[in-house]
Amino acid sequence: MPLDVAPVIRSYETQRTLNPPGIPALAPMPTGETDDTRRIIERFGKDIVAAGLHNGNQVVFVGPAQLKALATFLRDSAELNYETLIDVTSVDRSQLPLDGGVRFQTVYQFRSYSRNQHLTVIADCGTEPGGNGELPHIDSLTGVYRGAEWPEREVYDLMGIRFDGHPDLRRILMPKNWPNHPLQKQAPLGGEEVPFTFTWDDPEFETLGSQILPAESAAPDLPPGMSRQNMVINMGPHHPSTHGVLRLVVEMDGERIVSIDPDLGFLHSGFEKTGENKRYKDFVYYTDRMDYLSAMSNNLGYCLTIEHMLGLEIPERAQVIRVIMAEMQRIASHLFWLATHVLDVSGTGMSLLMYATRERERILDLFEMACGARLTVSYIRIGGVWQDLPDAFIAELKDFLRVMPEKINEYDALITEAPLWQERLTGIGFISAEDALAMGLTGPMLRGSGIDWDLRRDRPYSGYESYEFEVPTSDSGDCYGRFNIRMEEMRQSVRILEQAVGNLPSGLYKSNNRKVALPPRAELDVSMEALIHHFKLMTEGFHVSPGFFYHGIENSKGELGFFVYSDGSAKPYRLHVHGPSFNNLYAIDHISRGEMLSDVVTNIGSIDIVLGEVDR
Amino acid sequence: MGLEEKVPEGILTTSLDSVINWGRANSTWPLLFGLACCAMEMIATGTARHDIARYGSELFRASPRQADLMIVSGRVSNKMAPVIKRIYDQMLAPKWVIAMGICASAGGPFNNYAIIQGVDKIIPVDVYVPGCPPRPESLLYAMDLLRAKQRRETVGAWRKVEEPLAVEEIVPLGV
Ligand code: SF4
Repeated sequence: MPLDVAPVIRSYETQRTLNPPGIPALAPMPTGETDDTRRIIERFGKDIVAAGLHNGNQVVFVGPAQLKALATFLRDSAELNYETLIDVTSVDRSQLPLDGGVRFQTVYQFRSYSRNQHLTVIADCGTEPGGNGELPHIDSLTGVYRGAEWPEREVYDLMGIRFDGHPDLRRILMPKNWPNHPLQKQAPLGGEEVPFTFTWDDPEFETLGSQILPAESAAPDLPPGMSRQNMVINMGPHHPSTHGVLRLVVEMDGERIVSIDPDLGFLHSGFEKTGENKRYKDFVYYTDRMDYLSAMSNNLGYCLTIEHMLGLEIPERAQVIRVIMAEMQRIASHLFWLATHVLDVSGTGMSLLMYATRERERILDLFEMACGARLTVSYIRIGGVWQDLPDAFIAELKDFLRVMPEKINEYDALITEAPLWQERLTGIGFISAEDALAMGLTGPMLRGSGIDWDLRRDRPYSGYESYEFEVPTSDSGDCYGRFNIRMEEMRQSVRILEQAVGNLPSGLYKSNNRKVALPPRAELDVSMEALIHHFKLMTEGFHVSPGFFYHGIENSKGELGFFVYSDGSAKPYRLHVHGPSFNNLYAIDHISRGEMLSDVVTNIGSIDIVLGEVDR
Repeated sequence: MGLEEKVPEGILTTSLDSVINWGRANSTWPLLFGLACCAMEMIATGTARHDIARYGSELFRASPRQADLMIVSGRVSNKMAPVIKRIYDQMLAPKWVIAMGICASAGGPFNNYAIIQGVDKIIPVDVYVPGCPPRPESLLYAMDLLRAKQRRETVGAWRKVEEPLAVEEIVPLGV
């Protein structure tokens, strides 16, 4: 039976008729120049289509022929020194007024940690005839930055762009026999019509469930490069230690691991495609469900990106509330990591699970106090936060902050110095600083290899520059180093929280700009104007002027980035999420080689993945 | 003149159904198996505050052969669906399914190409739990409902259920 991913095209989801003329529009070209763009233009001359600043980010447009040379130059030039490639994504511009421009573009985010610079490179894709139409293709950057391997596979899988010279261009998220590349604009959103009214003999029932893939697709192939001479073990997707639905194909020679091929996508939920069909404000609720252990940070990252594109000022009080929430979320996420990590490694560490969740429940209670939800909070909204903190919140939080440092000491006493624990973690999962940079790792994975980088301190947002805190690092590069980093990060978060609670200013908790942020509920009863704004925002949303922007924040797992391309309408034209777990998980093969099977479990715990974010 | 009068004190008579159902309802072991956000609340249900041990269900078994209850805690993607079907088939009868959360019940916020609109398209469901995610209390209430259902069952009914063989052939890796 052929797979039908599109039983219906929903008119109410795809309507773009509300748009005024002039929409959709292409993003404008960058303007101005910086030291870096000048150097690049000096070196490449006319091969650079455009370079400058756009939305405050450095942007370079380059043709497909020079992309690889440009990437090599960015990495090797002593003045530029972009050590790492954070993210690769792509835009299908077929619904924009192109004027003969190419349809597909790939978008790269480069980062120089030593110089604290960020650079966005956008490359046009070449096309070659084939298939049913034109096949876009472009040079792979895997030879320059090793970490491009997975992001490029993702772009190939979801967008259909082929990368020449990629060592292993397979689908990564979708099943191998999936009929299309879902992020291309002509691919339908899929799903089912919501049956508001029907009776049991309605023919609509016939189409329900027609999008289920036939079961043969589950029969896995032997990953390329693996040999039947060795033992091949399948781990997951239903395995208690893979933190969700991750499948690892492990090739073993006796007790030693030869290679690992992670099979992703068992939780692929189509966030990006869904986001392109939702208004800007409506995607906040989806961000909760990506990295469901740090819902608050996800809200924050997304809102900051859109607010920057809108040029929106956030009131002081809202900023501090956001910091409070983000740091509480970091502690909660680390607590959960600690609980599962210990449980996985020791197999019997049930007590630490109970202790850590005891404190985590207190944080969830505080979240519930603020917004009524424990897990999927959607508390941070575009323009501020949903509602002001209730009166009892601060007292409760202060009480939590009073006990938390003791509790962290308690965990320390239980586990940190335990000889067995040290034996299981020390020297396991080693990654050097060069490898960490080449693979584009972020967060504790990067700091564990001695790179002193934290977006909160080095590229501050939400007023983090006014807090005093330390960024723990470790030179050991192993699981034990990363364990210590996360333990220390909890202490530092407590420190930030203490400062934030002490200096919580009074004032507005969300922006007064009624074109973007909903008016407070009480106003609706007394003001016609507020009612109109509310209605407009709820039905149409707000428009974001054409352009694109990448913004990253430091969440508990690493750099969480959002790339948004706006065509001027009320929905994002392209929305890409850079999940830290995805890039960090790429290292599992590298760090596990030569170790035992039981160390794989340690390594997964030490990378701290959430599959909702890996698979998106 | 019932049987009760003939047996010595301290002995209880009952029907086979009620004693078996009593046992089943009080020791329903769930499968250790989490899918998405709802799994976090499922874990929270298992920890000290909510304490699913009160129901005799604290023993989350990693092997489907030892589990009685599958809590589908999260969204089911197209790629995962055959796996879930296979795990369900590997569980021994009697077995029950709780669809936890709106995603497992009906697709929820993810009405798109990737997610199956309800796990009941592939396996039978006994209790649906609304919520996104349902609170641990909701899951415990679902356990209550399930226990009520278990107590009404007759042993013979399960005997009649023909164990479906795994629907698809199990294809060894790389063949
Ligand atoms: S119902 Fe909500 S919380 Fe549960 S898996 Fe679905 S999106 Fe996540």
